[in-house]
Amino acid sequence: MTMTNDAPWVYSAGIDIGAGAVKVVITKSRGGEQGEIVTRVCERIRRRNVYELAERVFDDACKSAGLKPDKLVYVASTGDGEAAEKFATGHFYSMTTHARGALFLDNDARAVLDIGALHARAIKIDDRSKVLNHRMTSQCASGTGQFVENIARYLGVPLEDVGGLSLKATAPEQVSGICAVLAETDVINMVSRGVSTQDILKGIHQSIAGRLGKLLRAIKAEHTVFVSGGMALDEGMITALREALATDRGVPLKVVANADSIFAGALGAALLGAYRRHQLDRRGGAAQTNSGGTHERAA
Amino acid sequence: MTAEPTAPQNDPAAAVLKRAHALTADYGTAPVKAWKEKNQGGLAIGHMPIYTPRVLLEAIGVLPVAIYGAGDKDIIRGDSYFQSYICHIPRSTIELGLTGMLDSLDGMIFPAICDVIRNLSGMWQMLFPKKWAAYLDLPQNFRPEVGGRFYKLELKRMARELHERGAKALSDEGLRAAIKDENLRRVALDKLAALRSDASWRVPASEAYLVTRAGGAIRAREHAALVEEYVAAANKRSGQPKDNVRVVLVGSFCEQPPFGLIKSLERAGCDIISDDLQLGIDYMEGAIDEKGDPLDALVDAFLHKGKATASRYIGEGRKGAALLDQVKRAKADGVIFAAASFCDPALLDQPMLETACEGAGIPFTSFKYAENTGQFQVIREQAGAFSDAVRLWESAA
Repeated sequence: MTMTNDAPWVYSAGIDIGAGAVKVVITKSRGGEQGEIVTRVCERIRRRNVYELAERVFDDACKSAGLKPDKLVYVASTGDGEAAEKFATGHFYSMTTHARGALFLDNDARAVLDIGALHARAIKIDDRSKVLNHRMTSQCASGTGQFVENIARYLGVPLEDVGGLSLKATAPEQVSGICAVLAETDVINMVSRGVSTQDILKGIHQSIAGRLGKLLRAIKAEHTVFVSGGMALDEGMITALREALATDRGVPLKVVANADSIFAGALGAALLGAYRRHQLDRRGGAAQTNSGGTHERAA
Repeated sequence: MTAEPTAPQNDPAAAVLKRAHALTADYGTAPVKAWKEKNQGGLAIGHMPIYTPRVLLEAIGVLPVAIYGAGDKDIIRGDSYFQSYICHIPRSTIELGLTGMLDSLDGMIFPAICDVIRNLSGMWQMLFPKKWAAYLDLPQNFRPEVGGRFYKLELKRMARELHERGAKALSDEGLRAAIKDENLRRVALDKLAALRSDASWRVPASEAYLVTRAGGAIRAREHAALVEEYVAAANKRSGQPKDNVRVVLVGSFCEQPPFGLIKSLERAGCDIISDDLQLGIDYMEGAIDEKGDPLDALVDAFLHKGKATASRYIGEGRKGAALLDQVKRAKADGVIFAAASFCDPALLDQPMLETACEGAGIPFTSFKYAENTGQFQVIREQAGAFSDAVRLWESAA
């Protein structure tokens, strides 16, 4: 991707359909750069029809931005984009969009740790957000948000309280870092033994952090690691990750997260869509897309 | 077959897709039983998925039936006939035979694809001695006085052997009518290909594949009508163009990829504009000559109008040129090499084709599959990364 100063200011949307939530971001940017987030909407799926939900969340985002869909130059889907197939102009692979979104939110990011509901992925990127290397958790769900959600439910703790409680732990208990089923058994035993909720949650965070730290080392991550996905909002998780990386004898890594981390995929998709539209327009290939959006000169 | 495409009820193509799906049920033998009821005493002959002279079979009143292996069916007995380093389709075809799924067929043709299929042909003859089975040694010398003469004799031999088993005698009249029907199919398939190329969002490759495959066990004229109906219906679809990369899919000519894989590639942002799937039906480029001696015309079409594929000899350097030409005609952004695991012809060709792509600056990616592959996540990721790289970085890296 190359920055172009001649690019007009345009609106574009990104729809990230994850395993747990649908996220939509609308941006105003010049060719996918020098932009700003106009609006962001996130809604948990909660066993609803994801096709209908995607359409509704997209409509909500347009209303929130005060834009009609035809003003968007590109609607980009990412994640399980099939649900947005009806109204998306194009689809970008989630690794690409998380990389772009991460770089937009933190210009120093050279690695992304995307922790979603059902998987986690470490991505090494360059200063243009091009993906250089990646590793993903395999079959087991032990390194993912759904796992933490399950444990929180067993313990009767609201999900938003998990991070804060974990930070208060004094003697964290170690749980299996390999298998979610074994870890859940560990947790049941801990509850029987009277281990405090804080210590159990910290143990869970440490278990996940150990696993994710290995992913980051496997891709030879350097400098700043940006955490994206829903788990980035869990302070306990971020702290455990920093601690794990500080003690594993690898090169020092700075771990950062952002209030918009959960929107990184949708944000990246919106920016890449705007870039792609500009690229097609320059080539005279605008017929490739048909979202009908208009360009707005000099915002 | 797994994960067949389904269409919503208000889709103009829903009805034709439903019929196409029914035609491919029971490993393609569902329509055979119906045809045999209507044509008492008629012969139905199966053939492996690559080039087979279906025109000749139709000309003598035989129903040609494309056999595409067993998809995701569990293989129990078939595995004992082939080593683990052999591709999946011969073992699944044996499995179909041994479990009675192909009992409605009166014989099988094994066209020259590779040594494994040659071997399968021998096994078939031993396993089913009462059924007719032929190994069709396709010529690799394309000079009419050498390969042409040989091929003509092979066609006559097959026609004679089938006549002895109850088929009609080969006649110029019958052959001319069959050529005409095959040309109708060719025209319909060309229209389908053109629509895919011009408006790929109206024709998902998975549907084009299904509609083409539906012709595996019906006569060419009937298939042509089905394809024409689908094209007309797909043309009525609304929707908007997608910003996907246009790709040529290469290497899937014999063991067919599962529907799920084709759909996964599409969902990953790759529009399959051109491919080498189902060459049993879609082998010829252009029409068969309808004037002159019809048998000579059939031979000539094989010699001079066959698609470039790994099981067809193409001189040094020219094989890559054919792929580059295919990419150019399809206005493709890149190539996906998708070969069945252990497919010798496809995998031996691949380095030559990749070199040609590299030389021409055409991005490509490659992976392997089996007809019973059920997990597409890795392939989808690879295809997604490929699609993004081509669109955003203009490379495959």
